[in-house]
Amino acid sequence: MARVIRQRPMNWVERLYIFEAIRGLWTTLKHAARGLFRYEELPTISYPEGQPEVRRTYRAKHRLMLRADGTPRCVACGMCAAACPAHCIYIEATASDDPRIEKKVKRFDIDHLTCVFCGLCVEACPVDALRMDTKEIIFEHRTRDEFVATLETLTSWNPKDYPDDAQSQVAPGGTKNAEARKVWGMEVKN
Amino acid sequence: MDIIESKTWVEWIITIAKFGFCFVPVLYILLLIPMERRGAGFMQDRQGPNRSYIKVPFFGKVRLFGYVQNMCDGTKLFFKEMFAPTGSKKFLYYVAPAIPFAIVFLSPCVIPWFGPMVFEWGGKVIRIAGPIVDSEVGILLLFGFSSLSAYGAVLAGLSSRSKYSYLGSLRTTAMTISYEVCQGLSMMGLLVLAGSFSLTDIVTWQENHVWGIVAQPVAFFCFLIATIAETGRAPFDVAEGEPELVAGYHTEYGAMQFGLFYMGEYSHICISSLLVATLFLGGYSVPFVSTATIQTHMGGSLAILCWVLAFLGLAFLHMIYRYSRKLAASKQSNKMEILQEYKLYKTIAWVVTAAFIAAGVCSWLYYNPEYSMVNGVVVNSLGAALGTAAIHLLVLLAKSVFFCWVWIWVRWTLPRFRYDHVMHLGWKIILNIAILNLVVTAVVAKLVGGN
Amino acid sequence: MSNYYNMPKLPTENSPKVEIFVDDKPVMVPGDTNLLEALKAVGIETPHVCYHPYLPVSGNCRQCLVEQEGPRGRMLVIACYTPVAPGMKIYTPASSARVKNARKATQEFMLVNHPLDCPICDKAGECTLQENYMEAGQNESRMRPEYGKNYHGNPAHQFIDAKGQLRGGKHVDLGPRVLLDEERCVQCDRCVRFMRTIAGSEQLQLAGRADHTYITTFPGEKLDHEYDLCVTDVCPVGAMTAKYFRFQKRVWLLSHTPTVSMDDSLGANIWLDHADGHIYRVMPRCNPEVNRSWLSNTSRLAFQNFDKNRLPAMGFHVIQEALAEVKKVGGKVALVAGGSCTIEDLAALRMLKESLGDSAELFGGTFKKVGAPDGIAMSGDPLANRAGFKLLGIPDSNLEDLTKRASEFKVLLTVNADLFGEGGSAVSSLEKIATRIVLSAFNDATANKATLAFGIRHWSEVQGTMVNSLNILQKLSACPVCPDEKLRPAYDVLSELAGCKFESAFDAFKKAGEYASVLAGLSYDTIKSTGKLLEGGNA
Repeated sequence: MARVIRQRPMNWVERLYIFEAIRGLWTTLKHAARGLFRYEELPTISYPEGQPEVRRTYRAKHRLMLRADGTPRCVACGMCAAACPAHCIYIEATASDDPRIEKKVKRFDIDHLTCVFCGLCVEACPVDALRMDTKEIIFEHRTRDEFVATLETLTSWNPKDYPDDAQSQVAPGGTKNAEARKVWGMEVKN
Repeated sequence: MDIIESKTWVEWIITIAKFGFCFVPVLYILLLIPMERRGAGFMQDRQGPNRSYIKVPFFGKVRLFGYVQNMCDGTKLFFKEMFAPTGSKKFLYYVAPAIPFAIVFLSPCVIPWFGPMVFEWGGKVIRIAGPIVDSEVGILLLFGFSSLSAYGAVLAGLSSRSKYSYLGSLRTTAMTISYEVCQGLSMMGLLVLAGSFSLTDIVTWQENHVWGIVAQPVAFFCFLIATIAETGRAPFDVAEGEPELVAGYHTEYGAMQFGLFYMGEYSHICISSLLVATLFLGGYSVPFVSTATIQTHMGGSLAILCWVLAFLGLAFLHMIYRYSRKLAASKQSNKMEILQEYKLYKTIAWVVTAAFIAAGVCSWLYYNPEYSMVNGVVVNSLGAALGTAAIHLLVLLAKSVFFCWVWIWVRWTLPRFRYDHVMHLGWKIILNIAILNLVVTAVVAKLVGGN
Repeated sequence: MSNYYNMPKLPTENSPKVEIFVDDKPVMVPGDTNLLEALKAVGIETPHVCYHPYLPVSGNCRQCLVEQEGPRGRMLVIACYTPVAPGMKIYTPASSARVKNARKATQEFMLVNHPLDCPICDKAGECTLQENYMEAGQNESRMRPEYGKNYHGNPAHQFIDAKGQLRGGKHVDLGPRVLLDEERCVQCDRCVRFMRTIAGSEQLQLAGRADHTYITTFPGEKLDHEYDLCVTDVCPVGAMTAKYFRFQKRVWLLSHTPTVSMDDSLGANIWLDHADGHIYRVMPRCNPEVNRSWLSNTSRLAFQNFDKNRLPAMGFHVIQEALAEVKKVGGKVALVAGGSCTIEDLAALRMLKESLGDSAELFGGTFKKVGAPDGIAMSGDPLANRAGFKLLGIPDSNLEDLTKRASEFKVLLTVNADLFGEGGSAVSSLEKIATRIVLSAFNDATANKATLAFGIRHWSEVQGTMVNSLNILQKLSACPVCPDEKLRPAYDVLSELAGCKFESAFDAFKKAGEYASVLAGLSYDTIKSTGKLLEGGNA
């Protein structure tokens, strides 16, 4: 349904045009004066040399979180691939060697040429393995293949780049829930 | 005529040197293009083109505040292949862009660049007029020249064999005719007051009375609008309105043919701004100071001029230093390059500023030429006369550059008018106001002045 | 210890119609079945976990509860074990909040210790529990997070996971083909019932009681029945998983092609589940007349070799030139049809025989041993289309004749028949035939001994029909997994050799109709997905 937006009719000053035009000229003059006399306050960034400040919440390049032992948290459930509207995620799974962990990821490809950076994969991930907080927003490569992020590139991030994220410093897991054991009065078999 | 009667070789040299003013509009193009491009950028919160650079040994990549970009673009236009569309009228097609550009060299002839130089040389009092041709009907000549430039657009549209070009040239024709009427009529009031068609006389009248903008504010606005329309710039660029006509009459032009149109347009702005400055802003006259005062206090006047320029240099240096400081604190990866480049500007600016200050001090202390009064006119030595002319010239250029800025300013602020609105504005509003203004002025002038 | 007495009776077309009241509205339902099937017949789905139409009813999941008006008022009964009676009054969740709550509570109880494994569970996407949850459950968790999941099944399999929860029973190895996840198991005992009543070999048992129940084999024994992969099909959750398909592909990424298994003359109905050009698994396709819901491991795992050892595609002119040369020399031609030839292939072969005239002779059959039907999903006859051979007048067991008279022939042309691979030393006489042309999908023993081995499409990649041992005409569909798009179906090659190229499989089927009157007038559209019983059938 089209919505009709009724505009306020112009009064006679506005209809004269000349005063409104002068008002417009004043606006542009202010901007031009800022550019001329306070060049450094221009909001435009001199792009390749000057980089915009990217927030942690900005949906940038993906990364895969790691467990304490360094293996990817990903359990290859394919939820990200199922959620992906661009079908840019390809996952192959395999059985894990760790008896506590059933399924692990064998191949995890994200084609960044196809990716639309919607972040649905991050939302879909049930184990918080996939994140888009790398702040890397520039993708430049020589070949198309290099745009495909693999398991190696996705997991090779530096914890020092995430100083405010505790999970990136120490991988979770290994914390045993003592309270649950107390409630059920059980000896824990390992 | 002065030229023929004069005998002295100095007079000859100065008269011939005055022909150099013909190239002022072309030099203005060099100023206007960067002013337009970066000015537009600043108005839109952009930085404007600033990436091209020249490698200079010590200073690295020198970008001249983006000026190198314009040099590159000009070079590109110059070396592009010229071609004509199939079925176009070849001769007219190639001649058309040259017309507006050729006019550029005619128009400056009647502009008074400085006040009449009166000096003593070889025992004779010599008087040299401001314009190249000090015609009694200078203003009419100027209108004649500037309306000639419409032929370029008309011929281009006719010869291109393109409907867009054709429509564009039709619009140009109609608009030129309409707004020339407005232009002429809105200026009439001033002519009535000055009582002359000579631009020198008009400036002299303003010098002696008040500026045209004070005497004839309504006429000033009408004249400004009509002149902007006459140059075919936004918001009156219906002749090349991109949404309808691709690029109007120069749709089919490329390379330096387009470049000539482009330069023609800018020199037209230059001429128009000079005209507005001359008619309404007192021309070469220095505000609040009479020419006689300047001539009688030559050293002080030159010193003030130098110090004004030095102040501008210091302001420039202040901005450069402030920006350098901000840049050094930023994370921009090429900041060292830019700071190195700025060393060049800082050096030049310091040298120039220092030179101006020194020159100001010198002229203040040591330059006090003698003068005599002949028939109420100050007669200087040659040097003092040249100094006066230089001050006049700089003042005129400053005024016209301000109006050039108005052209650019208006273009990047106001949206384009629809074609019928343009015609409506021209014929039904501005023309009427101009006529009314003329009648009122004539009546008031008759009642007050009585001549 | 057969439990056939409580096998559910399924409605048929001939079931008597009786009137019952569902939510106080009279409906006509089949009268000789249980309530669950009767409601399904009128379009009311009842969630169920333990009930399976081809397994004895055990009624232990209590998920299919409905309300029935009885002498003592309205009571909750399980729909799967309640026979339909005329005039009975039934209330479904549409009208009864009690039923809704009961189902929801049952569901919630079932999920108390069910692990949150759905992301890594191979059953996710086709899981009965998931479907029921979306339909009847949708309950908020009332579990306090600090308690988490608690596994009380086999104590030997317990462990504490990374979150400190008591888990266990993951990937328990039941046998060579099946893995068990005891934690996911909801103790519906479908697998136990399958092994007991259908497979007839009681290899699985329920051990323990209450929430300590778990599925297991007898100590020291393995689950290694020919039909053991069927337990992964009947399992409503992801407890039983097939090793060959474990973690291979998420099920929602698979496309399904309905077709018929061509390695047995029962022609078990199957789904070929494929994605990006590969078959990932084969699932039984329910056909009450043929294989019900069962499929033998042989038929199920055969797909693993479908794309291996294939003959490459060749230009048609190769075979044409070879045959033209033969015609020039003269001599008799033996045309041999093999096991997985469809009706279309056979029609084309017969047309080729007619075009060659008297010099050609048709042979058919297999050297493999013909076994006995096992009563589940195998007839034991490796010549899948034997009934089709008979219909089209192609000999189905005269290969011995061919080996004896091998010296008469100058040319041998086999279609999908691995004579040398199956026959062994008995067929060595065939090597004396000068020109041996082999049309085969695989680079098998016969192709190796051929003078010209011409690659054709496998039966999983062609459209066609077959007649099974019960005389049911069944459809094959082409699964888009052909390794090389230039490979052509056998009927295509044969008909072009005969000089009258079939434009489509349906052309070949129409030609078959000319040879066999029972096929005349049929089209692929009139054959149902479960097949069409031909006249004179013995089903």
